Amino acid sequence: MMQGNIWISTNLLGFAQSMTLVLRFQTRPSFGRAIFAHGSSSEPNSNSQFKGLKVILADDDDLNRTVTKKLLEKLGCHVTAVSSGFECLSALSAAENSFQIVLLDLHMPEMDGFEVALRIRKLRSQNWPLIIALTASAEEHVLERCLQIGISGVIRKPVLLQGMADELRRVL
Amino acid sequence: MEVGQMQRRLIEYTKSLFMEGILDDQFLQLQQLQDESNPDFVVEVVSLFFQDAEKLLNDITRALDQQSVDFPKVDAHVHQLKGSSASVGAQRVKNGCIAFRNFCEEQNVDGSLRCLQQIKQEYYHVKNKLEALFRLEQQIVAAGGSVPMMELSF
Repeated sequence: MMQGNIWISTNLLGFAQSMTLVLRFQTRPSFGRAIFAHGSSSEPNSNSQFKGLKVILADDDDLNRTVTKKLLEKLGCHVTAVSSGFECLSALSAAENSFQIVLLDLHMPEMDGFEVALRIRKLRSQNWPLIIALTASAEEHVLERCLQIGISGVIRKPVLLQGMADELRRVL
Repeated sequence: MEVGQMQRRLIEYTKSLFMEGILDDQFLQLQQLQDESNPDFVVEVVSLFFQDAEKLLNDITRALDQQSVDFPKVDAHVHQLKGSSASVGAQRVKNGCIAFRNFCEEQNVDGSLRCLQQIKQEYYHVKNKLEALFRLEQQIVAAGGSVPMMELSF
């Protein structure tokens, strides 16, 4: 829940030698009370870094896809949203398309994100888009598997604007 | 009622939903994504959620009604409901789904039925609240005012 990690290193006899706890905190602006503002809120991140960034988003869930797409557009990205691994691969294979980022939901039916990522890596040797996985899972083996396949980043669902911006910034 | 009053009422109402744990930060996130190019974004997404949720709740009800319950299938539906409720910030529905999945794992029919009842209640509760919230917003806009955006500190 706090996106943290805890591990114990043991000595040869199996006794705990030291314990490490890592917690990830998000610093938030604090406001004394509710603030009125008209119209749209000013973006907390500058869009310039992501402006025009071509992203393809693959998520089979309509609601999540709608929200994530809007989130990316808010950050200044050009988003193509598809609802399956197949559509994603088709879009990537089309010669005239050149996406810089592929955002993959790991848990799609038919073809999951891992499978899609593997096939993307086999598609073309030049023009390698960066792949970022979307998952509700926080399990370590998921992260490990991502790294093994060549997925550059992972974002936990439900997606937050700040989380997306941070991870994009990190992989670019 | 004049616009300022209505705006204050909206703020108080929204605040209460957060205080009661009916909505969480994810809902604020949705509001922040709304802008001039997409002025009805929140209503659209929430409507999608209502459609999704009602279909899933029906599917789950039917699945639990079978002679031999297909728990993996029920679990898949609950997982989906958990995802969409989390995306709109319907915290209590989301939490209900988390509990439900434990019963699925145990293949516990009674527990599942009870949980389903609970989730349905929470769902209709949040639906009513959100519809009231949107009505308040509409009233403000109809009176020529603009809908206040909120930042809350917790």
